[in-house]
Amino acid sequence: MIDVMLKGLPFLWQGLLVTLQASAIVVVLALVAGVILGVGLSYGSHWIAWPIRLFSDFVRGLPLLVLIFSIFYMLPLTGWKVSNFWSAIAALALFETAHVSEVARGALQSIHPGQNEAGKAIGLTFGQRMLYVVFPQALRRFLPPWINTVVDTVKGSSLLALVGIVDLMLSIQQVIGRTFKPMPLYVLGALMYFAINYTLSQISRRLEARFAYVRE
Amino acid sequence: MSGNDAVPLVRVRGLTKSFGSNQVLKGIDLDVVKGQVVSVIGASGSGKTTLLRCVNLLETYDGGSIQVDGVEVGYDDANGRRRPRGERELAHIRADIGMVFQLFNLFPHLTARDNVVLGLRKVRRMDRAAARELAEQWLVRVGLGDKLDSLPIELSGGQQQRVGIARAVAMNPKVLLLDEITSALDPELVGEVLTVVRELADDGMTMILVTHEMSFARDVSSRVVFMDAGRVAVEGPPREVFGAQTHERLRTFLARIELKRL
Repeated sequence: MIDVMLKGLPFLWQGLLVTLQASAIVVVLALVAGVILGVGLSYGSHWIAWPIRLFSDFVRGLPLLVLIFSIFYMLPLTGWKVSNFWSAIAALALFETAHVSEVARGALQSIHPGQNEAGKAIGLTFGQRMLYVVFPQALRRFLPPWINTVVDTVKGSSLLALVGIVDLMLSIQQVIGRTFKPMPLYVLGALMYFAINYTLSQISRRLEARFAYVRE
Repeated sequence: MSGNDAVPLVRVRGLTKSFGSNQVLKGIDLDVVKGQVVSVIGASGSGKTTLLRCVNLLETYDGGSIQVDGVEVGYDDANGRRRPRGERELAHIRADIGMVFQLFNLFPHLTARDNVVLGLRKVRRMDRAAARELAEQWLVRVGLGDKLDSLPIELSGGQQQRVGIARAVAMNPKVLLLDEITSALDPELVGEVLTVVRELADDGMTMILVTHEMSFARDVSSRVVFMDAGRVAVEGPPREVFGAQTHERLRTFLARIELKRL
């Protein structure tokens, strides 16, 4: 079994790279968009918060696979030429953005309203209050659940294989197609996914410890 | 005090404000001349804190006018139409109106010094060295020279509130608003905070303070305003107001406060 794994490994590197790359792109997109939407949810007027709420609830209510296929088949109808890769990335990014926006909302709303008032009272603008007063405090509450969304992204990226992107998942299946030895290769794949995500949760634990400076 | 008397630094006219169907301010008029200390007293629910929070627009107001140094705080009346002020304008106006909060509201992730430095750097645009120096000067003045690098959690309530005062006055505000700043303190810590406020009053800082400390209000104020049910019921020099045994509601209020102390 071990020798099948070792022989298969070289064929999986390229796929692993695609998985990491796709995950990284999605994580960055979802972080930026999700935090912006989370701020809108927390501090926006009704007219800003309501559409975000709708988007977030809707997207979070869909199975990721449905979202990936919907976008994959819908985008061509709009006449927009997008590669499989980017269409799948868009779907995964939308999905994670919705989740990150909820994580950000939770973290932001945990900050006492008096903090914002104190910031207003010394003349800070909204952006400055976010940057210097609210975000630094919210970070501690944001990080742990956010890392969970990163882990979800890596796991969710395995569905990219279904629209023909040769990521780690599809590489494994390709090797299986040639060796007819599914068991060792799926075990190998599981170990590789686990290695990525375990690393992430370790980093998360380190970061949590670092931000344990404020009162509870 | 000649020309200053003509135009009060803070000028409130016909101020109204409702929370839903509950009208908490029913037409307030109030003038605060530069250098004056005005104490606002009254039962809880009388609208005194709301009035104070309207002055730097932590609460919006529905009707009437609040001018600080001649500038309407909440609205721009440009073309005869009331337009809410934008974020930048508002921040600009608020920078000149200091506020100290009942629950201190220090920034918990910043040291005492950095709590004061933040506004100096980001709002006053001072360079780092100058901001730190000014912050240290004020912290020394409020008796916290040995706590510059302490986080709020490491300070007592009285110390935190003194940082709160330093944070507000370091901005060199035109007027300082103090919202029941000793209400959340243990009794033995009240004195150290009031001493700082008294020194500011002696230095000529213009202040509006909402307080339940009657003897302090009597000592430090130029004028005392008694609010009742969203209106100014009695107003005048402390001796007159505290001696106004003719006003029924004021008499009951003062008697109740007196009872609580015994």
